Amino acid sequence: MMARVVPHAANGAVPLTQRLKEALPGDTILVSGEVREGTLTIDRPMALIGAAGAVIDGDDAGDVVVITADDVTVQGFTVRGSRISDMHDNAGIKVLDRARAHIVDNFLDGCFFGIYLSGSRDAVVQGNRVVGHPQRENRMGNGIHLWHCHNVRILDNLVRDHRDGIYFEFVTDTRIERNKSLNNLRYGLHFMFSNRNAYSYNRFQDNGAGVAVMYSHHMEMRHNRFLSNRGASSYGLLLKEINDGVLEDNEFADNTTGLLVDGCNRFRIVDNSFRANGWALRLFANATACVITRNLFVGNTFDLSTNGDLMLNDINGNYWDRYVGYDLDRDGYGDVPYRPLGFFGLLVERMPYAMVFSRSLLVALLDQAERLIPTLTPLAMKDDHPLMRMPNG
Amino acid sequence: MIKVFKYTLIDLARNRAMLGYALLLLLVSEGLFQLEGDPMKAFLGLVQVVIALVPLIAMLFTIVYGYDVLEFTQLLAVQPIGRSAILGGQVLALSVSLLLAQGFGLGLPLLVHFPTRVALVLTVTGSALVLVFSALGTLIALSQREKARGVGIGLGVWFVFVLVYDALLMWLMFALSDRPIEPWVVPLAALDPIDLARIMVMLEVDLAAMMGYSGALYKEFFGSTGGMAVALGTLMLWIVVPIAFAFRTFRGKDL
Repeated sequence: MMARVVPHAANGAVPLTQRLKEALPGDTILVSGEVREGTLTIDRPMALIGAAGAVIDGDDAGDVVVITADDVTVQGFTVRGSRISDMHDNAGIKVLDRARAHIVDNFLDGCFFGIYLSGSRDAVVQGNRVVGHPQRENRMGNGIHLWHCHNVRILDNLVRDHRDGIYFEFVTDTRIERNKSLNNLRYGLHFMFSNRNAYSYNRFQDNGAGVAVMYSHHMEMRHNRFLSNRGASSYGLLLKEINDGVLEDNEFADNTTGLLVDGCNRFRIVDNSFRANGWALRLFANATACVITRNLFVGNTFDLSTNGDLMLNDINGNYWDRYVGYDLDRDGYGDVPYRPLGFFGLLVERMPYAMVFSRSLLVALLDQAERLIPTLTPLAMKDDHPLMRMPNG
Repeated sequence: MIKVFKYTLIDLARNRAMLGYALLLLLVSEGLFQLEGDPMKAFLGLVQVVIALVPLIAMLFTIVYGYDVLEFTQLLAVQPIGRSAILGGQVLALSVSLLLAQGFGLGLPLLVHFPTRVALVLTVTGSALVLVFSALGTLIALSQREKARGVGIGLGVWFVFVLVYDALLMWLMFALSDRPIEPWVVPLAALDPIDLARIMVMLEVDLAAMMGYSGALYKEFFGSTGGMAVALGTLMLWIVVPIAFAFRTFRGKDL
């Protein structure tokens, strides 16, 4: 049997709902114009393709497009009009317990939740623009929301002005690449209990609280940019209870706290750059066996802070712009250790308003004294082989 | 006054110390930008130079110059020129040449290597510091007859502003740490012109950290146009008040 291509013009004689009911598995429906028929349900394998300017408006009925079959493609639509609700997670495009959904090149315009995958596997979400209402931000759901999913690819999307940009809970073996998550009320990317995921080449900027990865293991994070996440409890990246992961080649710039490591084990933090952050790295004392090496620390107000005396991690061979040691044996590593935790850092932990002394001569002297004769800072908190020159130039 | 200004300026242009100062600043700035791979790091080094060194040199130069031109000043004083015109011309010429030296030694490298908003802030606040400490230097030079004494007082004043005041304030903070002193820390720090200039630069450099716990406090004070006006006004006062006293001293002074 041949798969058919059925053109559908909105506001014609036949409503799209009826065409969906009459479609055979494998059909393609090519939609043009603005469809306004409440919630559309796709319950058989097929493709729903929007011609240029095609719109699906849910008319505030609830969800807009619901996929309840395997192998469904939804491509090229502007989707809007999902009902804001305190009871239901109404979404622009929702996939329920099915495999191989393709959600490609759509524009989700002010939906409550943008793209919502629940219990789905092997799906692809690519090239969508998911934009909430900047004015109604506090009434927005998540941009791309995954719950109990497996092996999904989230590629090249733009998410902005939602609650969480991209939200994962109980999601495994998923790749998130080349997305932009901007101006979200809470987290740009939020992971909970989601293992073996990789995200790379994404940009997270101006989000209320940055990016949070919590209670997960075997995470890989590479080549991402965490920019301008500012506020008292805002982080470029918050790692909480993460075991056995890699954080490599990422850029942290202009965040109040660049990276917060809380209770992580065997996590590798390698080749990242930290520039112009308030606190580049907050390493809590409950982190163990983490490796921090070949990172770049330049122009941060504080390079490092911690919350206890215990230090069970390996900090070695990083570049610190405040380091003033020498390298007599010319092996590229300084001969005296660098102590990233200064007196001033401790002072500001205790009295935040002491910030007023930042970069004063007095603080420079006191910091230097503390580095020569450490009395207040944990002895183990040091980089024994600081790099003399910046890595990669 | 214009004539005095003109001749003082010509004299200063030939002054080796002034040329040396300009070249030294240029050397330091260029050196920092050449040596450090990262312009931000070089810039932060320059901040320290502007905060600590620039006020010292501006003040010492003004004081020493004040004593050096004393004979010329005496000569001028017997001419039919008002005393205010004499001092006005000299102060103006000194300020202009110090600012030129700074613009050459500091502004130029910044413009070439690091043309940013924060560099502009540093240039402006650095210039304000030059004027403040030149004004203080003028007052000191006029109120002390002995050169060694004048220089000594100048050093002392610089030391207080750059270090002692901060140390006292920090000690006060510790001593009263169980009281609500938070709202007082910033205004108190802002009384010191060096601190004030530093805070204005810091608000740009450490903005990310400023948005942290204590952010509200600073934003409240400096973020508003009112706060910025207060800051600039305070710096202006630090220029105007010493100069006013200097004029008063000079008018009544037995040369």
